[in-house]
Amino acid sequence: MRRALNVEFLKARRSTVVLVTTVLIVVLVPLLCLGFVAVAKAGGAGAVALKAQVMVVGEGWEAYLGLLAQIVSIAMFIGPGVVVAWAFGREFSDRTFPSLFGLPVSRGSIATAKFIVLACWGLVLTVLTLVATVLVGLVALGSPAGIDLAGWLSRLLVGGFLTSMIALTIGFVASVGRGYLPAFGALILLTMITQIAVLFGTGGWFPYAAPGLYAIAGAAGVAEVSVVQLLLVPIWTVFVGWLTVRWWNHAEVV
Amino acid sequence: MPEPLEARNVVRLYGDERAVDGVDLQVRSGEIHAIVGLNGAGKTTLMRLLLGMVAPTSGEARIGGADARSARADVWRQVGCLIETPFSYPELTVTENLEAAALLHGVDDIPTEVARVIDEFELGHWANKRARALSLGNHQRRGRAAALVHRPSILVLDEPANALDPAGVVFIRDLMRAAAERGAAVMVSSHHLDQLARVADRITVLHRGRDIGTLDPNGVDLEQQFFDLVYRDDRERELA
Repeated sequence: MRRALNVEFLKARRSTVVLVTTVLIVVLVPLLCLGFVAVAKAGGAGAVALKAQVMVVGEGWEAYLGLLAQIVSIAMFIGPGVVVAWAFGREFSDRTFPSLFGLPVSRGSIATAKFIVLACWGLVLTVLTLVATVLVGLVALGSPAGIDLAGWLSRLLVGGFLTSMIALTIGFVASVGRGYLPAFGALILLTMITQIAVLFGTGGWFPYAAPGLYAIAGAAGVAEVSVVQLLLVPIWTVFVGWLTVRWWNHAEVV
Repeated sequence: MPEPLEARNVVRLYGDERAVDGVDLQVRSGEIHAIVGLNGAGKTTLMRLLLGMVAPTSGEARIGGADARSARADVWRQVGCLIETPFSYPELTVTENLEAAALLHGVDDIPTEVARVIDEFELGHWANKRARALSLGNHQRRGRAAALVHRPSILVLDEPANALDPAGVVFIRDLMRAAAERGAAVMVSSHHLDQLARVADRITVLHRGRDIGTLDPNGVDLEQQFFDLVYRDDRERELA
């Protein structure tokens, strides 16, 4: 396993897809939030301004972090989802899968190593995004006096990381679909289904929506997500991960 | 003592298509066993079966004495193979690709073995270049280096001379001969008889999934003998 981990870590470290996704999320997410807060505060009747006014609740840091929670719930699914789709799907699209046979390291170990490296990267991505958020907030909004910053950040950390974790399940579609295009399709479909589940009020029980709702619940008056509902996220991720590893161990070259 | 590579009446169907049809074959230690056939003869599928890449529909495909689909790590540690695309990640440099291959093949002294194959395959000039920057020929050479970085004792090479210049073809032939001389079992496929006849100890002809006969590597006019076997098999199938 250590050998597979070293190889997957090297591939992730050298990957342009991982680098670009990291930079885009860490830099753009806080700036996007800040921009929306500014647009909402400026008022106006344009389409963007009206949308911003609906999304932004409260003032200053509260508005900024509340909006961040909403954006993180999507960005931390789409961004890591694209990377997961690429990490698994590229072995088929680039035709490297046959070269993973005939090795003393099993294909299941290689798939497990991918999951571990991507889960660690998801945690690092979440932490970096929050660090950037605080720095941008300090520069643009000043001191976060009067808000429970630690409470906000811990919610965003749990919500963001769990969202990136549930994105690992995209690896199953990329494997069974033997490429990243089916996985991109699944990513779009799951994003739509998540929105529908939230609209119908059942998002708490839907593992793809629960972490985002947990992050948002602190600000927008959304119902709290229970521990049991949150636990469904790692349970579902581990189950789909197990299915993926099993598939990798038994898959044939076609 | 089991043979390093062994097919026992192995059959692989793809729908109605009999890609490999009841082939019996062994590759012994210290010999080069060449598989020749026209495109679609079943050469690659037979190699895939022996490497556990696909499961037989019936019969047995064995490697190192074990079933190819369930062989353990100690068997695979001895195996070097090159089927279709080589082990290659374009974002990694040539050296990193070879280090990754060495890691996954269970090599202990990775820097020494990687330096050895870089030298052997004359890849020094490209060692720090990304794999995506290599020409097709150098890409293939790097793939062969990755397959041999762990000094395998069972070598399976599918069309190893593809995309190589004449010097590269000679190099591959020498490499297979050297591997066999140190006791490795070498299985190699090609649809170019002249590339193989000079190094093979045995030549098996596959046609439409079946083993239709053997050629003597020291015989004369191998091409004529090859086509005689193929046409005879076609006639027999038409009459059957």
